[in-house]
Parts: sequence; C-alpha cells; structure tokens
Amino acid sequence: MPNPTLPRERIDYSAIVDRPALRLPSGARLVFWTIVNLEVWDIGKPMARQVLPAPTGQPMLPDVPNWSWHEYGMRVGVWRFFDLFRRLGIRPTLSINARVCEDYVRVAEEAKNAGWEFMGHSYEQGPIHKEPDQAAMIARAMGILEKFTGKRPVGWLGPGLTETYDTPELLAAAGVKYIGDWVYDDEPTTIRTANGPLVTLPYTVELNDIPMMIVQHHESDYLLKRTIDQFDRLHAEGANRAKILALAIHPYISGQPHRIKYLEQIYEYAARHDGVLHWNGEQILDWYLAQSGAATKAAE
Amino acid sequence: MNDAAKRPPVGMLPTERIDYSPIAGRKVPPLPGGARMVVWLIVNVEEWDILSPMPRTVLTPPAGGAPSPDIPNWAWHEYGNRVGFWRMLKVFDESRIRATLAINGSAIKAYPQIVQAANARQWEFIGHGFTQRNMQKVEDERADIRRTREVITSASGKPPRGWLGPGLTETWETPDLLAEEGYDYVCDWVLDDQPVWLKTRTKPILNVPYTQECNDVAMMLIQHHKASEYFDRARDQFEQIYEDAAGGPRVMALVQHPYIVGAAHRLKYLRQAVELMAARKDVLFWTGAEIADWFRAGTPAERA
Repeated sequence: MPNPTLPRERIDYSAIVDRPALRLPSGARLVFWTIVNLEVWDIGKPMARQVLPAPTGQPMLPDVPNWSWHEYGMRVGVWRFFDLFRRLGIRPTLSINARVCEDYVRVAEEAKNAGWEFMGHSYEQGPIHKEPDQAAMIARAMGILEKFTGKRPVGWLGPGLTETYDTPELLAAAGVKYIGDWVYDDEPTTIRTANGPLVTLPYTVELNDIPMMIVQHHESDYLLKRTIDQFDRLHAEGANRAKILALAIHPYISGQPHRIKYLEQIYEYAARHDGVLHWNGEQILDWYLAQSGAATKAAE
Repeated sequence: MNDAAKRPPVGMLPTERIDYSPIAGRKVPPLPGGARMVVWLIVNVEEWDILSPMPRTVLTPPAGGAPSPDIPNWAWHEYGNRVGFWRMLKVFDESRIRATLAINGSAIKAYPQIVQAANARQWEFIGHGFTQRNMQKVEDERADIRRTREVITSASGKPPRGWLGPGLTETWETPDLLAEEGYDYVCDWVLDDQPVWLKTRTKPILNVPYTQECNDVAMMLIQHHKASEYFDRARDQFEQIYEDAAGGPRVMALVQHPYIVGAAHRLKYLRQAVELMAARKDVLFWTGAEIADWFRAGTPAERA
C-alpha cells in the first residue's frame, strides 16, 4: 500500500483519566463479555498453533497430531461450554470462522439455537495478511453467517486479531459496526475509516487462553487466578466508571477436562459479586452508542 | 587470531572499561541518615512504531511469521499508555515515591499527557533510545543519543543525566558516545549491586545498578511467570539485598512497563512490592541521578 492509514490517523492518543466516565445502567460496575472462538484448521495447511512440535522441529504436512488436538475441541470440548452456559443462562459472543457453518453444522446450529451472538472471524483460520482478496473473503464470511443465522453480524474479530492497514475500511464497507482487534483500552472507542466510523470493543489478549496456556505455558488453574485478579481490579475501578471484562476461550484449550473446572469457577466467582452484567458484543455496542455523544467525542 | 584481530573496530571491550572487582570489602560512601540501601523504580515508556515489527508480542499470528501491520500487539502495548500508566501513577503517588522515567525520544511527542504527569511529580527523565529498537540497528548512534537528549531537555526543562539502552542494547562504542554527549550515567551494565565507573575514550561514565531480574519484561514476557511472581521476586530480592547491606550500602532496582505491570490483573503485585519496601524506615527511594550524586561525591572517578 503506498499510503497506509496508520492507527494514529484513525484516533489520537487519549489518556483514560481525561475522558468523561461512561456509566452502566442501574449502577452496575462492569460488563462481563464472554467470547467463545470456533475455528477451522485446514489439514492441507500448517496448523494455526501447535501443542506438540514435530521431532527435530522440522515442520511437516499433514500435521495430524496438532490438527486432531484442535479437532478435539469441536468434538468434545465445545459441548462442555454449551452445557456450562446453558446452566448459567449466559449467551456468549461466538467468534466464528464462517467455514464452521459448513464443516461443523452441528456445532453452529447449537450456538444459533442457544441464542449466541455470531461475530465474524474470517472464513477460516490464518493471518489476514495472507488473504489474496481480503474484501472478497470478508464479504464471503459475512454472507455465510448472515445466511446461516438470518442476521448480518455487527461484530468482527480478525483471525489472531490480525489486520492489514486497510482492514477497517473493508470491514466498515461490509457493514461491520464493531471490531475486537484493538485491545488498547478498557472502554469502547470510535475510530475513523474512509467508510464511516467503527467502534472498538475491549477484547483481550490478557484474559485469553491462547496466550496464557499455549504461548506462556501457565498451569491450568492460572486461568482462574488471573481472571479473579483482573475481575477484582476492574470491579473496584467500576465504582467510578464502567469497566468491561472480556474473557476469550477456545474449546480445544479451556474445553479440556483438566481445565474446564477453572472456567466454571470463574463464573461462580463472578456470581458472588453485585453489579456484574453478562452482555454480548452487540449489547455493549448498543449501550456505548446510546451514551450521549460518547462516540463522537471519542473520535475527535 | 592475534589480539588486534579480536578487538572491535571502534570502542572498547567491556573488560577494558572496567576491572573485575569483588563487592566484598569494597569501600563505598555511606548513605545519609544511616540508611542501609537505596531502591529506585524505573518506569519504561516506549512508542512502538506500527510500521516496524513489534519489539515484543503477547500473541503470535496464526501459523507463525511476522506479518505487518501487527495490530494486536501494537494495541496491547498501547493499552499501557492509555490505561496502565495511570493505574501505576496512583501507586507511586500514594507512597510518595518519585520514579525514574526511561522514555523513548519519540514517546515524548506521542504521549504528552504522560510527560506532563511525570513533570508535575518531578520524576527524573532518562534517555531510552529515540525509538524502541536495538542500538546496533540504529543508523547513526550519536545522532540518536543527541536527539533524545534534545527532546527530553525541551520536555522536562533539563538535560537527561541518565541513559538506558532499548532492551539494554549497546554497541562497542555506546559508553564513549554517551559521555561525549553529556550523559552522566548509564544503566545497561547489570553487573553489580553498587554503582561502578566505566572508562570511556574521554572521561569515565558511571553505571547505576539496573536489573534484568526484577524486570517485568523478563519475568512475564520471556519467562512467562504468573503475575504474582512480580511481587514474590521483588520481596525476595529486597530482603536479600537489605541483609547484604549490613556490610555496606546497596542499590536495588525494580522495573516497570505500563503495558505489563499496568495490566489490571498485575497491578496489585506492584502495589504490594512498593508497600513492602516503603514500610522499612532505613530504605531510601531515590531516582537514578540521586544515586549517581551520592556515589560520585564519595567515590570520584579518579579513585575508581
């Protein structure tokens, strides 16, 4: 791209302490935003993540051990999630590769019937930089999800949160209203694109089982420990301004038998506190846009 | 290989700048008021250039590689300056501690509100490279060092006296250039618990003890410890150095980056560490320049 639009040209640096506080309804302190990620790992390509590198470190195709490790999440792990959220009456946001609606119809139907919010998450898993025609991929992914659920998604998360410089333009043109890729704040912000504004919601790479378990190699119970620490801090700060706690989970990681109980305990911990709303991305977006002038102010 | 072939083309070998010296029995000036040790807190504020590969990553892209732009990791770092820094500020304010701000020259313009907050609290500004990248990859090192000095002088009202290389990186020549460009001390040489003099081709430059051990980059991003390790390690480091200081003054550094320890789930471990250390009456909280001034007054370079 000859003249890429840099992040700083989309929004100025802003210190959180200089902004008017956003308020949640009924004196609530924080929004608990659960995001379940469902992906398709094409066996013909290198796997998105590896739990077991090949002997001597040489990459190999097909990568059956790591493909099947991820596949476990779709066959077994995700059903632990459905069970948990049904019991809790929580409807998470589903960050979903559109191809899941083709390859794993059973799973996608279950989420649709449970009333989960479908958020665009590329057609299949791989860095968006390698898409030969990104606009076409976005149109295809959004179209598949719209057709499958009967409603065009308002949210988008890049695969691995990846974007090129013009991704925000392409997403706005495709009708996307919010993105999760900009993990740079505790509050939603509004960024400029050539095709109208886009809202960023505070998704997370901190409370996310990929960095914690797969990249940083923490023990299983650390998901619970870190979430409690994050929750305590944001809940305290939530006395003065609305806070959003995002928790991002993947069925092949947190859906494992040795990890699921820590996920369950997170929601038990949150339930012992007042002022916690379980909202999906679209609900957070609607609340943010309704806050008088918030969107306009943040963009200027 | 003869000795000449082993020599760097410019600058000096570290062993030419400083002789080996055991800390046991070394004479250093006493601290004022009968204090045992000094703690200094170094807050690193950086600007990550979206047009270059990110200095660190929390999340690698699916299937690896280093695609550009790297929005997730850029935004993860930016969170520190939008939100995390302001959390950390409360900890320092409540304990009335003046921190030392190691800041990229380019960050001065990018984050004026942070500069203002540091000025209002009389924190010490030290140079930290003009941009966040290996000093060995900087095209004109002297110009980088000089330019950083200029923007800090204009932002804080006085020239920086200290320097910390980005990622502590140096070329063979860095101490020579720093001394020539008016810096009094450097922090890259984590080889002692007391300040030491380094020879340069002009006048000697002081090294003030910094740390890779009690540093959130090493602990959290490289070694991948859980958040509480920040407190545990700071406590253990502090207690041992406090005990060591029975034999003479010691210096402990504790390093923070807003995007790491300023994250909501880590902040309390910084607070606990600061509160634990601040509770001891015979511990001084100084900035780097205050440490340098104390040491220079009692141990001039010519006696080193």
